[in-house]
Amino acid sequence: MITIEMRHSSLGYDRKVVLEDITLQALPGEMVGLIGPNGSGKSTIIRALSHVIAPRCGQILLDGRNISRIGRRELARLVGVVPQMPLLPSTFTGFEIVLMGRNPHLGLFQQEGAEDREIAWQAMARTGTQPLAHRRINELSGGEIQCLLIARVLAQETSAILLDEPTANLDIGRQGEILNLIKQLCAENNLAVLASLHDLNLAAQYCHRLILIHNGRIHADGTPTEVITAGNISEVYGAKACVYTHPVNGLPTVLLNGNSHRSILREGV
Amino acid sequence: MRHKPALWGTLSLLLALAVSLLPGCATAPEPATPPETTITDQLGRAVSLNAVPQRIISLAPSNTEILFALGLADRVVAITDYCNYPPEASAKPSIGGFSTPNIEEIIALAPDLVLATSIHETEIIPQLEARGITVFALNPKTIDQVLAAISLVGRVTGAEPAAAGLVAGLQPRISSVTDRTQNLSAEQRPATLYIVWHDPLMIAGTGTLPHTLIDRAGGTNIGHKIKDYGDISLEAVIDADPAVLIAGTGHGTGADAPFQYIQNEARLRDTTARQQDNIYAINSDLPGRGGPRIVDALEQFARFIHPEVFK
Amino acid sequence: MAIRPASYPPTSLLRSQHTRVYGIVGLSVLLLVAVVLATTIGSVHIPLLTTFRILVDKLPLVDIVPNWTSALSTIVLEIRLPRVILAGLVGAALAVAGATYQGLFRNPLADPYLIGVAQGASLGAVIGFLLPVSWSGAGYGIIPLLAFTGALVSTAVVYLLARVGKTLPVTTLILAGVALGALLGSIVSYLIISSGEKMHGIIFWLMGSFSLSQWSEIAVVLPYVALGTAVILLFSRLLNVMQLDEEQAQQLGVNVERLKLVLLAAATLITAASVSFVGTIGFVGIIIPHAVRLVWGTDHRFLLPFSVLTGAIFMILADLVARTLLAPTELPIGVITAICGAPFFLYLLKRRKKAIF
Repeated sequence: MITIEMRHSSLGYDRKVVLEDITLQALPGEMVGLIGPNGSGKSTIIRALSHVIAPRCGQILLDGRNISRIGRRELARLVGVVPQMPLLPSTFTGFEIVLMGRNPHLGLFQQEGAEDREIAWQAMARTGTQPLAHRRINELSGGEIQCLLIARVLAQETSAILLDEPTANLDIGRQGEILNLIKQLCAENNLAVLASLHDLNLAAQYCHRLILIHNGRIHADGTPTEVITAGNISEVYGAKACVYTHPVNGLPTVLLNGNSHRSILREGV
Repeated sequence: MRHKPALWGTLSLLLALAVSLLPGCATAPEPATPPETTITDQLGRAVSLNAVPQRIISLAPSNTEILFALGLADRVVAITDYCNYPPEASAKPSIGGFSTPNIEEIIALAPDLVLATSIHETEIIPQLEARGITVFALNPKTIDQVLAAISLVGRVTGAEPAAAGLVAGLQPRISSVTDRTQNLSAEQRPATLYIVWHDPLMIAGTGTLPHTLIDRAGGTNIGHKIKDYGDISLEAVIDADPAVLIAGTGHGTGADAPFQYIQNEARLRDTTARQQDNIYAINSDLPGRGGPRIVDALEQFARFIHPEVFK
Repeated sequence: MAIRPASYPPTSLLRSQHTRVYGIVGLSVLLLVAVVLATTIGSVHIPLLTTFRILVDKLPLVDIVPNWTSALSTIVLEIRLPRVILAGLVGAALAVAGATYQGLFRNPLADPYLIGVAQGASLGAVIGFLLPVSWSGAGYGIIPLLAFTGALVSTAVVYLLARVGKTLPVTTLILAGVALGALLGSIVSYLIISSGEKMHGIIFWLMGSFSLSQWSEIAVVLPYVALGTAVILLFSRLLNVMQLDEEQAQQLGVNVERLKLVLLAAATLITAASVSFVGTIGFVGIIIPHAVRLVWGTDHRFLLPFSVLTGAIFMILADLVARTLLAPTELPIGVITAICGAPFFLYLLKRRKKAIF
């Protein structure tokens, strides 16, 4: 059970600063959604939270500990990542990929044991990816690979999970399944979950809290109802008058009207 | 009018005397080779000569040695980097390496005769001939062919008497060796090997001068299955059990590396040569060059192979 | 994290351990056969039984009355046996180094000479040839020493050129290696042209050769190769994880920079040690890992140990061919490996429809 925290951090690559003065938090048992336009820096935040890049200033803390002082292997036991467009070796099988999630729990020269294989197998069961166990990566679709990655992070058995566009390639049925699963695990095991989502409706439906990124800063941070407002959407995305209310659960729902005449080259989009 | 024939006779006599006083013609008796001859060189090429060559370039150390031995030093205008014998030869300008002579420099020196070898056959000789330069090639593979080479150079340069004299001086030395070795039976001929380099193990096979030297000096060349200079496996050498090992030394800066090798290689310790300490070194210029010093090499080989006969 | 108990993973996913053991045993047997074959066959004909007797006589507590000449025992024990063993060592080293480079760089064309080891060693060796120092006779001469130094120095230069802060970007490393290799190669070419009568010896060395292999050389090469190979084999599982991109590997808890350094150092060390004594033998480092992949896949826990054994077998047999095909002359072994390598690459190209990398 850990808290993910970023305090007044500036993030960027080489000379380019992408995000400034970011302060955010994800508490145990909380599923936080990271939303914002393309290129706003959502992946950068996830990289920083997994210590792939270091903040130029500010701090990143896991349960109060500075992330730069935590060893790689220990960090990987605390935080698991589902990346967006990973490179996967084409000749490995589904099971082998998921099994790699056990790496942080193994000694330097230790081999996977029966227990590790069992955990990986169970992770595949929960994500419905067991049929893919013997299939090679180069034979799988984007959606199947995405589910395997989620199985991998489950096998990693971490206290926090970061997801970068976890549903980008999934059909509507699978989207719901996977997000339900994550929300369930979040509640069962008190995980801190941070997911970047481009689909605002999914974000609203499944996340306890949303953080909206715009122009390198946090534009809004709060419940879905507080964040997904007509004003925010218009300001950040440039899409006007499309926030409605879900007929069943009252959460904000974004719907585009295809019949109205709109130019797609708005500022900020 | 009656005095005219006498007048013409006197004038021509005077003319002849004047011509004979021209530099270069005063040293030796007038060329015995008349102009406009064709002589076949040792590569089988028919070479035409219009006059006695006065500007000779040598493309090989062996050719240089022959030229100097025939007293033609004055007529040699250039040699190669490797022409180190006789010592006076080094003073001559060089036109480059043995297999890489500089064509432009050769042409610039305007030679009327270039003495080449078989190495130059494919590229150098055609290029020189295309520019109208007379090239004569020597390619002796046996002692007799070396003597023939000397005689040919004598003919081509108009120094036949000198050549004949040189050959006459060498022949008794050769005979004094071969008379005592040519009737030896196979058992009386010790297994011998001439090593050029040790890594890889490169030896003289058939068709090389050292091979013929071994034979004439009364030995059997272990490397007779190898053609020309070639590599041999250490196994084969050990199996053949050489009785005499000769290393050629003085190669560039490698000095006596092959000699050290045959002295020190542990795996040769059981060979007859090592057991009886028949390990010898010889300056590789001697058995390697088809010149007058080949006879020196023969005498040394004879001492190595049959020390009981040749002291 | 509570997981509902359910069925265990299917046994097919569990069999990898057994397959690995069978594979290693099988290949080891083949290796033994190759060693015996290569020791008994050579340019000098020695009856099979005699060879056996000579070998067996050397075993402790066994004493056979010799019915062979000392020449034959010298040939078998001091020429052929060390040669075969050195060939096996070098073959194993180059194959496993090649597999490691291919895994580290995630590039099927990587070979042990990618980052300048071969050119550095060549330069060192050529300088050794041209120095006015004669054969030292201390078991091995100055050439392996200079070659080894050249290999390590050039690798260090490439590393320093490619390093960015604390990271070692793989692409930069390859580019720096290729660039430095080209530079050193041109220097070597120039030196060869001006080497005069040493040219034959130099070119023969550069093409690679096991002639004149000695036990003393094995004593030097063995520790490096053994150490480097052991390190690499220990990291087999992590090399699998490295097949993911570096970001994922980091997120899975791998200290990527440290691993790169360790594996590069180990692979370079064994390559340098091999090249220093036998010259630059090509193709083995590329072909053998690919051949193993074709049969066993990319799991480095198979790939690496199998490459070690297969590389050794291949090199021993290639050397056998090199020294017997035109006996008593020896072909440079680089020629034999190239003759095998070229058709193999063409075959790989044809098989591309089934991805092997």
